[in-house]
Amino acid sequence: MRDRAELVIIGGGVLGLSLAYHLARMGLGDIVVIEQGYLCFGASGRNGGGVRQQWSTEDHIRLARRSVAIYRRLAAETGFNIWFRQGGYLFLSRDAVAAATLERNVKLQNSLGLRTRLLSPAQARRLVDGLDTSGVELCAYNPDDGVLFPWPVVWGLARVATSLGVEINTFCRATAIDVQGGRIVKVVTDRGAVATSRVVNAAGGWSSQVARLAGVELPNRPYRHEILVSEPLKPFLEPMVCDLADGTYFSQTMRGEICGGLSDPLEHSSLNTSSSLRFLSRMSASLLRLLPRLGGVKILRQWAGYYDETPDGNPVLGRTAGVEGFIQLNGFGGHGFMLAPAVGQIMAEWLLRRVREPLVERYGLERFSSGQLQRETLVIG
Amino acid sequence: MGKVIVCRCEDVTLEDLRQAFAAGHRDLESLKRFTGLSTGFCQGKCCAAHAGRFLAELRGGDDMVCDPTRTRPLLHPTPAACFAAIASGEAPDQEDA
Amino acid sequence: MPARAGEPLAAALLAAGVQVFGRSLKYHRPRGPYCLQGHCSGCLMRVDGIPNVRTCQTAVRAGMVVERQRGWPSASFDAFRALDWLSGQGIDHHSMFTSSAATNRLAARFVRRLSGFGELPAGEPRPPAPVERWQRQVVVVGGGAAGLQAARELHRRGVRSTLFERQEVAGGRLLDGSDSAGGDGQGSWARLAELHRQLEGSENLELLPGTTVVAVYPGDRLQVVAVQERRTLVVEAERLLLACGDYEQVRLFEGSDLPGVFAVRAFDRLFYLHGVIPGEPVVLCGDSPRLLRLAGDLVAAGVEVAALVSGATRPPLPAGEGAFPLVPGRLPVRASGGRWIERLEIAPAPSEPADGLFDCGCLVSEYPPAPAYELAHHAGCRVDFDSACGFRVVVDDGGRTSNAAVFAAGHCTGAMSLEQALEAGRRAATGMAESLSGGSGRED
Repeated sequence: MRDRAELVIIGGGVLGLSLAYHLARMGLGDIVVIEQGYLCFGASGRNGGGVRQQWSTEDHIRLARRSVAIYRRLAAETGFNIWFRQGGYLFLSRDAVAAATLERNVKLQNSLGLRTRLLSPAQARRLVDGLDTSGVELCAYNPDDGVLFPWPVVWGLARVATSLGVEINTFCRATAIDVQGGRIVKVVTDRGAVATSRVVNAAGGWSSQVARLAGVELPNRPYRHEILVSEPLKPFLEPMVCDLADGTYFSQTMRGEICGGLSDPLEHSSLNTSSSLRFLSRMSASLLRLLPRLGGVKILRQWAGYYDETPDGNPVLGRTAGVEGFIQLNGFGGHGFMLAPAVGQIMAEWLLRRVREPLVERYGLERFSSGQLQRETLVIG
Repeated sequence: MGKVIVCRCEDVTLEDLRQAFAAGHRDLESLKRFTGLSTGFCQGKCCAAHAGRFLAELRGGDDMVCDPTRTRPLLHPTPAACFAAIASGEAPDQEDA
Repeated sequence: MPARAGEPLAAALLAAGVQVFGRSLKYHRPRGPYCLQGHCSGCLMRVDGIPNVRTCQTAVRAGMVVERQRGWPSASFDAFRALDWLSGQGIDHHSMFTSSAATNRLAARFVRRLSGFGELPAGEPRPPAPVERWQRQVVVVGGGAAGLQAARELHRRGVRSTLFERQEVAGGRLLDGSDSAGGDGQGSWARLAELHRQLEGSENLELLPGTTVVAVYPGDRLQVVAVQERRTLVVEAERLLLACGDYEQVRLFEGSDLPGVFAVRAFDRLFYLHGVIPGEPVVLCGDSPRLLRLAGDLVAAGVEVAALVSGATRPPLPAGEGAFPLVPGRLPVRASGGRWIERLEIAPAPSEPADGLFDCGCLVSEYPPAPAYELAHHAGCRVDFDSACGFRVVVDDGGRTSNAAVFAAGHCTGAMSLEQALEAGRRAATGMAESLSGGSGRED
């Protein structure tokens, strides 16, 4: 392991690696990445691969749009197939309030150049054969959203970054961040220390723990999120289906499996990744309710990962007051994968060129103490 | 020279494992993800032991294999309909695997 | 197609000469059953409109509609098999078609159409199964040698237990044909009959065959999820005794995944229980006395045996000495054939050139079975690795695992003889009874 680097990134997930990838391509390869497990150990290896541009705020829509453009060419850029399939995302609303939100969002999305459109329940049924739309008020559909395989995204970014000089240490845990006179001087790991003046906290579910190593308190909290996958069947489902009422989402992967999850209001913050019977039964019930012909489809496996949640559903980016050189890149809830390509690129430009970046300023850590919060409401799937 | 199929469900060959190991995937969780080993219909019942031996040989001993890949429900593929009616009102952390 | 009522569908298909049950995912290689125990994916077919049904676990019925999955124009003759011939050591699906973004998008569309096994289930959607919630003090999973012996010991100590057995008939290994006549007159069928007699009418044992435990969720109370054909059981258990047995494996070599290559116990059940010989001549590979006995019984039944290939340099002589060539000091290294095994090459070691070739209509491949450790792993019990068998549940002499509420016995804890499995079942039950009564197990 190198004992000195221009930059240390804690967390070898999609956000940390996207930053390393873009920095290395812009010429800064003197980076050490520290990953506590294998590549794909955290949420980057446990998510369902959904990538959508349907968001409720302008920032998220722009970031997602830019990310989709990068995903469309990423396989060719990294030499790794990510099997990005743009089968669309179909949102279902079940009451007037949710329907009004969809209408407002679609307007905003259209104004930013997205092809999202509102669909009646009957139109949604034409899109998804056998969809039970009883109780559904209104739907929103974007044909350019899609699903991909998360793992090869991580491997591809890692391979290119490594070839450009980045050192990625797996099974390596940061144990201390040495701060002297308000400046970062080194990161200590269980495999040795790296002298550096800049550290990026891209630790996802562990970002609050990592921040504490530098004496910094983050408002982020990890919440378990569960997901399951079925036997692989021939293609029969194009879009990702998302029910706004309970947060159910499911799609068909390129391998033919139905892959999906749902939110649980009873979940409390923890770093627990065990599987629960409660999820298995709730998710099975949701699948049967939305698409009754899935009743006979066999469930293969369930698993769990984290949402790295912040009080306003927006990420934490940029500098940290009081600790010079400590940069936050976390708090992406359950959608780090959707935004990582664009965010990594923007953060790389910001770090390298030292230009003003409104996004980084808006989503700084200080907002939680100054009270300037802008809520993102579409935080599922 | 033809293929030695280690994982029949996903058509993972011994050569796939060798190449993944050479590319730095030296633990079972990584090997599984990189090659698709144990991710199919049987969920590793026919290949996990073979993969463990492969890893033990390359890493120099049974002790170096450590744990199997994380085992998750279900043991056998089972229709969603079998679970849809399980009413479960308990707190989420009361029933974890 | 003629079949015997109640016989497993896979056995009936093999008896009728069906060779290819389906095609593999990536290279479209022919697939057929090798375990006949309900754990591999070789025998999956579409049965009565339901995709991916394990035909070895499905009793044959008149009028069943059985279809192969995958393959174009058919699974029996599949043009995509060319992918296998052309790809040598394999296709790197990570890097193919990544030359340009446009090629990549086009290729992804094509690949999607090739993916998946089987179409959605046909007919009316399957409604939610009724669920029953039970509370039990002791749940035993697996009605093989260890599980039945454990139930017997619990019964003797006055402890009530509920035993879930996946098959319609409990017995596991005790049902296997080639162990049926042990040298000491204590054959496994006799042992099974004795256990059944001891347990018959026991108020302490609730025996549920045809019940598959699919998950264990640990917590304040263990939750065991068991599935039957018409209902789902969610059982809260104070103690769990896992005796889930093991999974049959075959030795790995080039072509060892061809249909016609069977694990010993799979072939054993075909021959002794169902009277099916899926192909001739039979080649057997392995060293155990049971394999030698099987070879002798095959010859006695008029089955053509091409050879018994033994890795050991001086194996014990088989009963039917002289009836077939015994090839010591050799291992199988290559199986070949179009849709079914036709030839087998052997060599002194896997790395050495082949020095023998047999016509082979069926290969019986002996290899250490892999312990079924998964349910214990669900429950958080420690599992370790032993290259002699694979991953296994770690237990002490009293069958205790690292989870105080979970005990394990028999082949899920590692390789052992039938006698050892019975003894392990007895000890685990004793350990569990002691843990329930606070350390002083009651002896009746």
